[in-house]
Amino acid sequence: MSESHAVAVTDAPLVCVSGVSKTFRQRGRTVHALREVDLQIGRGEFVSLLGPSGCGKSTLLRIIGGLHQASTGTVSVNGLDADAARAAKQYGLVPQSPALVPWRTVAQNVRFLTGLHRGGASHPVMTDAEIDGLLEAVGLAGFTSAYPHELSGGMQQRASLVRAFALGAPILLMDEPFAALDEITRADMRYLLLDLWSRIGTTVVFVTHSVTEAAILSDRVVVMAARPGRIAAERTIDLPRPRNPAMEDAPEFHEVVRFLRSDLREHHG
Amino acid sequence: MSVGSTFSMSSAAMLPGPDAPSSDSPDGTEVANGLANVRRIVLMSAPVVGVIAFFLIWQFGVKIFDIQKFVLPRPSDILSSINGDKSYYVRNARTTLWEAFCGFAIAFVLAMIGATVMAHSRFIERASMPLVVLVQVTPIIAYAPAIVIWQGFGLKSILVMTSLVCFVPFLINGVAGMRSVDPNLIELARSVDASRREVFVRLRLPSALPNLFSAARIAVGLALIGAVLGEIYAGSVSGLGYSIKLAQARPTLRMQLWGSIYVLAFIGAAATILISTVERFVLHWHSSQRR
Repeated sequence: MSESHAVAVTDAPLVCVSGVSKTFRQRGRTVHALREVDLQIGRGEFVSLLGPSGCGKSTLLRIIGGLHQASTGTVSVNGLDADAARAAKQYGLVPQSPALVPWRTVAQNVRFLTGLHRGGASHPVMTDAEIDGLLEAVGLAGFTSAYPHELSGGMQQRASLVRAFALGAPILLMDEPFAALDEITRADMRYLLLDLWSRIGTTVVFVTHSVTEAAILSDRVVVMAARPGRIAAERTIDLPRPRNPAMEDAPEFHEVVRFLRSDLREHHG
Repeated sequence: MSVGSTFSMSSAAMLPGPDAPSSDSPDGTEVANGLANVRRIVLMSAPVVGVIAFFLIWQFGVKIFDIQKFVLPRPSDILSSINGDKSYYVRNARTTLWEAFCGFAIAFVLAMIGATVMAHSRFIERASMPLVVLVQVTPIIAYAPAIVIWQGFGLKSILVMTSLVCFVPFLINGVAGMRSVDPNLIELARSVDASRREVFVRLRLPSALPNLFSAARIAVGLALIGAVLGEIYAGSVSGLGYSIKLAQARPTLRMQLWGSIYVLAFIGAAATILISTVERFVLHWHSSQRR
């Protein structure tokens, strides 16, 4: 696995979230899913949103992606608001479940969104050859004519990753994509994701509740807290890239994990 | 061979499809595989065994209990009487089959239009549901005479009855199927700003297929009910329903009554098997088809 991440993080942020709050009514009470969130994400940056369930990290991801509306505050992506950015095909989404189309083969599934993608895109989607290259990279080259139900959960999630990367979109939004996988598969998937990311050099917003996962993957971890959902702390992860499994045993890595854990604990409950 | 009860909202297979258990033997020896194969073959032939057993019991039960032929003829007598008058049955079966097929097709097309509208608007769905349920629960036989008064004697009335009874299962299953798309897939489509039309054509319609096949299997029986009922009420001069109506009134035509019943059962069974075969082929990706 080669990982030579050389995309310059420029000064002007790609994503700018300012003063975003999200409230909804539940049984006559107002629930603050998010309160006053400010966040900037640079071009080519890998940012994780880390926090316990109910801290609004998935909601924040969907507000950034124009899938949910903020109650107050603004999101700007490349100078567009989130809805306009969605219309301009700026996003690739990786949901928690692989959500492959059951009646399509792997080869068709990874092209499914690019097929829905016609018109309005300000960037080219990947060519067939490039998509085949990605399938090769994730070890699915021999399974292109398989149907989703014939694949393991890990293979399905790999296809889901390829589907998102194939869009060639500048921002990938990942909502706990590995949460449903077993621990061993999950560990592999993290490095696989880093490999794809380093080849393509796109911006990733990654939601997770795993401290280790956030530490392995991210340039920066945004620690969130619940009731109300808010940003509790931000930490830049200075571990060198490319990252590899051996680093998980290094003291520097344990240091990062310890800081993140204490951030989480401090704002919990 | 009519499935005259109600429609099913689920897409679970409900056909004489044998559900063979997994044949993976843990040790994978040849003997174990052989045994598993034998068990599978036995299970697969079970439906045929059941049908044959039924007719054998009928055949010999009539003989053993000395039941008179005009009360209950033996299957062999019925089959030979059909065989002796083949062109009569072919002619009448063709009429009934055509009526049932047209009613089935009209119901399918109208129900798909209705389901599309209802899948797009919760309000329209909720507004029309009571009417749909009323059509479903009112016995067709009760309003068949009213349809004849309204549409007159002939094919038109028959087709109205047939398509009316087939319409509801297609509609209900169509709406349920179109709404059954994985919400994650809908969100993915939204994330690339796919249009409602694209979502409908590429996700909702294919998702509805398992439900529509369930509906089709139910509608086969209902279409035959509609066609036979129509022929009885709407003054037909041919068809298996007409043949039954004639036979009921004339003791000399008693064998014709049974012959028509057999041919109707055969048509229903053949259509059901045809639909299930197509289903197995088209829905190979769906969990209901996995053995």
